[in-house]
Amino acid sequence: MTDALLPSTRINLERATVLVLDDNGPSLDILSQVVSGFGVKQLHRAESVMDAQVLVGTKTFDLIISDVQMPVTDGIEFIEWLRREGGENNRYVPVILVTGHTRTSQIFKLRDAGSNYVVAKPITPKVLLERIFWVAREERVFVECDSYVGPDRRFKHQGPPPGTDGRRKDDLPAEVGDAHMPNLSDDEISNMMRPAKVQI
Amino acid sequence: MTVRKFRPPNRLAGMIKDRGGVLAKDAVAAAEAGVETLREASMAALDEALGEIARRFGKDAADRDAQPYEVLYLLASKVIDVSAFVADTGVDKAAMSLCGLADSCAETKAWRWDAVDVHLNALKLLRAMGAQLPVEQREAMLQGLYRVSHYRPEEG
Repeated sequence: MTDALLPSTRINLERATVLVLDDNGPSLDILSQVVSGFGVKQLHRAESVMDAQVLVGTKTFDLIISDVQMPVTDGIEFIEWLRREGGENNRYVPVILVTGHTRTSQIFKLRDAGSNYVVAKPITPKVLLERIFWVAREERVFVECDSYVGPDRRFKHQGPPPGTDGRRKDDLPAEVGDAHMPNLSDDEISNMMRPAKVQI
Repeated sequence: MTVRKFRPPNRLAGMIKDRGGVLAKDAVAAAEAGVETLREASMAALDEALGEIARRFGKDAADRDAQPYEVLYLLASKVIDVSAFVADTGVDKAAMSLCGLADSCAETKAWRWDAVDVHLNALKLLRAMGAQLPVEQREAMLQGLYRVSHYRPEEG
């Protein structure tokens, strides 16, 4: 789906406006320092979801990186709010959540929050840059329904679960049916692969 | 239920390919150099969190039974936040295990003080000399913590 980030890959984040959100000051400092090191000039910091919501209401962001565990309102609730009420300029912005540990009770909530990626703390510059590069180039469709707003949670299309018909229009049955037409002959296959002159 | 699927514009995708910019390896090096300037402050924050864990949840803490599970979870999370500087000691992994333990205690609404004590002792040892321990010994200690806390590293 996306090319890997190589040491020789050129990236340009100078024009990107980025919001970093973490209630823990030292952690926010590290996150900010890493993002600045990547060349980001427009970096906005928030230490609470409330501060972040104010910024989302007044600025247009190209990337949001948010902690998960925060008092009062956590990162999961923030992203859920962003995807539904963040305004047309920010609703679809790529979001990376960072978390040191995920509570058992929050595993599904984290999956369903609507972020593009979850990165484990302690963050390292290499891993974070790889993920930023990844979310900048990913091609997943956005899904909007009553229970979820965010990138398609299925990273790979592996067909419907066994024994089900699937819910996607393009889901194919797991069983291979009978052929609809005779097999191609060797000549027909060769003709399909024969080099031909083309006018450019 | 109506499901809408679409591809919203990704501004970041266009920007990241703009002319100019830097090589990924240089961006990572610049970020690492920036983070390095925070080493002292981060280590102070880490030791402060470890100290508070010991004060409030150590064997000698008078009212540790009355402490909220959430406080231990948040303090252990603070240790993880700044533990990149001590990744060679195992402190980060022990703190993750402690988070798992605090979460499990919160779910059952009962402290497991033997498990907390063993984590606090391990954190103290790892912080003091984790980097000097033979790798197998450190890993064995962490595996022991995971068994006690039921923390599964592969689940994050």
